[in-house]
Amino acid sequence: MRITSNMTANNAIYNLQQNLASLSKLQELSTTQQNINTPSDNPASAGVLLDIADKLKATDQYNSNITKASTFMQVTSTALTGLSDFMTQAKSLMDSISSGTSDATQRQTVSNQLATLKKQIVDMANTQSADGQYIFGGTTGTTPPFSNSSNAYAGDSTQINIEVAQNSTQAMNITGDRILKGTGSNPSYGSTDILQTFDNLIAAVNANDVTAMKQGSTDLDAGAQQITNAQIDLASRMTRLDSMTKMNTSNKTTLQNMASNIQEVDLATVGVQLSQQQTAYSAALSATAKISQMSLLNYLS
Amino acid sequence: MSLNSIIQIGMSGVSAYQVATEVTGENIANVNTPGYSRQRVVLETAPQSSSNGFSLGTGVTVTGVQRYYDGLLQQQMATAQTTLGYDTTKSNVLQQIEPTFNEVSTNGLGAAISTFFGSWQDLSLNPTGTAERQAVLTSAQTLVDNFHAVSTALSDTVTAQNTSLVATTDSINATLKSIAQLNGQIKTTQMASGNANELKDQRDQLVQDLSKQIGITSTENSDGTTDIKFADGGAALVTGQQAGAFSLDQTNPNKYVVQLTAAGSAGPATTVTPTQGVLGATLALRDTIIPGYQSQVDLLATTIASKVNTLQASGADLTGAAGIALFAPATTSAATIAINPAITGTSQIAAAASGSAANSGDNSNALAMAALQNDTTTMAGSTFSGSYNTLVSKVGLDVQSIKNTVSRDEAFSSQLSTLRESNSGVSLDEELTNLVTYQRSYQASSKIITTATAMMDTVLGLIS
Repeated sequence: MRITSNMTANNAIYNLQQNLASLSKLQELSTTQQNINTPSDNPASAGVLLDIADKLKATDQYNSNITKASTFMQVTSTALTGLSDFMTQAKSLMDSISSGTSDATQRQTVSNQLATLKKQIVDMANTQSADGQYIFGGTTGTTPPFSNSSNAYAGDSTQINIEVAQNSTQAMNITGDRILKGTGSNPSYGSTDILQTFDNLIAAVNANDVTAMKQGSTDLDAGAQQITNAQIDLASRMTRLDSMTKMNTSNKTTLQNMASNIQEVDLATVGVQLSQQQTAYSAALSATAKISQMSLLNYLS
Repeated sequence: MSLNSIIQIGMSGVSAYQVATEVTGENIANVNTPGYSRQRVVLETAPQSSSNGFSLGTGVTVTGVQRYYDGLLQQQMATAQTTLGYDTTKSNVLQQIEPTFNEVSTNGLGAAISTFFGSWQDLSLNPTGTAERQAVLTSAQTLVDNFHAVSTALSDTVTAQNTSLVATTDSINATLKSIAQLNGQIKTTQMASGNANELKDQRDQLVQDLSKQIGITSTENSDGTTDIKFADGGAALVTGQQAGAFSLDQTNPNKYVVQLTAAGSAGPATTVTPTQGVLGATLALRDTIIPGYQSQVDLLATTIASKVNTLQASGADLTGAAGIALFAPATTSAATIAINPAITGTSQIAAAASGSAANSGDNSNALAMAALQNDTTTMAGSTFSGSYNTLVSKVGLDVQSIKNTVSRDEAFSSQLSTLRESNSGVSLDEELTNLVTYQRSYQASSKIITTATAMMDTVLGLIS
């Protein structure tokens, strides 16, 4: 093959360009420290990266859902503990006079205390969450579910579900009818109308009706058990949320590892490649400089 | 045979080597001229004469100046140029589009879709909250803005391709005209038995330039002219000294139609569909490739809008009324998607189940809305985000493969150029060697003349 000086020059330019292109690619890798800077760098991996990013966003969203629901459940749990305490107090009051030998003054005191306890139970059952929602009101969040004037329940028995993982929901609230009225099913905690039990007890104490007082005490026990059942249900839901958080967190770690395996540059490898490429480039430059100076003109006088 | 004939022989050498030096000079001067083919003098012995009893030549004569030229290689180079022109144009435009879809390093449409459905998740935890409702409206607006941005970027590129047709066809027409003119000059020069090497080099270079713009086939005629035919349909672009011309039917300002008046044809221009070279790539980008991406984005916009609107209608807003469409009902593309102007306040977001009372804390519709993020029934088995991610990958794949194709084309072109350079390129070392050779030959021929003159002097001395 006949070689001309222009061929040498063109080849030198072409090859230097190729060298410089590889060098600049390696420099981009080492400065951004990311393997994929545009989708065309590796289309398949870019797709996987985007899918992982979407899943990470969803996981963060689920964790945020769980945190908010947990706060709501903490408030519910505190209210249930209060209710349970009131039931214990009422029970001990009844124990003190259940023999039927108490005098009228004693019975009046007990009756007054029972009325106060019922008011406290109603107040506790009208607890609002940080957002101003009545936690025991179902979805009728803005009207108080209970009142002192009537034993009726003004809320509904709707369970508010929230998403805690993809296609997995968890009921967040406990409705007032289930804990204080003993109605509602799935879940049902018992069938005691606690508010009515208090009314019955007050009437029985006032009338010193021993049979009715005994019946009322039994109902109080059943009511206390009803609230305990609700606490157990709530506790098991909170445990589930805890384990969901752990699962989401571990999923997130796995996903982040996958993403960094794809995306993060192995600096040691790039460093070695970069120095190899630099050596190759400077060798090419010096060879080009030497060859392009050679000409017959240097020797013709 | 006389002393004079010795001087004549010397004279023929002097003038032949003068021409040879001129040709060498021309070669050296054009060492960097694109398309130049090196030339050489063809030397032959001058006619014999036998006036002194035996046959002897009468010196040297220059019979022609030839250029080193490989017609087949030129045709191969033209084909390679056509491919390179197509791929380079496609690669440049796709690389301009890629940043619009670069979800890897920036947040774009994909993030907006996730955020939109995420805001419904937040709403499901506090269905009556004003802040959460406002967040839904804001993220819906962001989603709309992102659809507009992508759609505008794509349609701007389509417009740019359409407008560039004017410049491309103008430059093709100018080249066709120049080739036809050069054909005329070559023919005239050859008829006067002149040397048309430089004109031919110029014309070959123009043919190379032309082949980058459109697909062509060329044939060289015996009179030195070149005829050029259009590869897409075979119409004559240059016949002898006549050139055809491309024109644009601009009836539809968004979609010019390319037309061609063939060389030597008087009739009206006919519509052609170029598929090769820069012109072919421009049309393919404008009519097929970019609209392909556009239709995917449009499908995503219309599907999200219709799904969200349907769910809005099946839920109840904060006043207990059935929800109204969140996105403008007439949404047909990513360019026109908008928030329904009838949505004036946060209370119109339908978070509760249908039939719920006013201010209901029910969140079932918000939950259903949030669940749309994982819905795989409408976008051919993938979620909305997944479908967009697939589009991003597809754009990435298209850019990657065309980049690879271009670098392969460039390597092929450069190899062909090397082959051409090897045959037709000027080698300075070779020319310098020739220069020394011709100079020595010129000196020797001059010496013959001085010797003959001295002999003549001797003879004249005898007479006096």
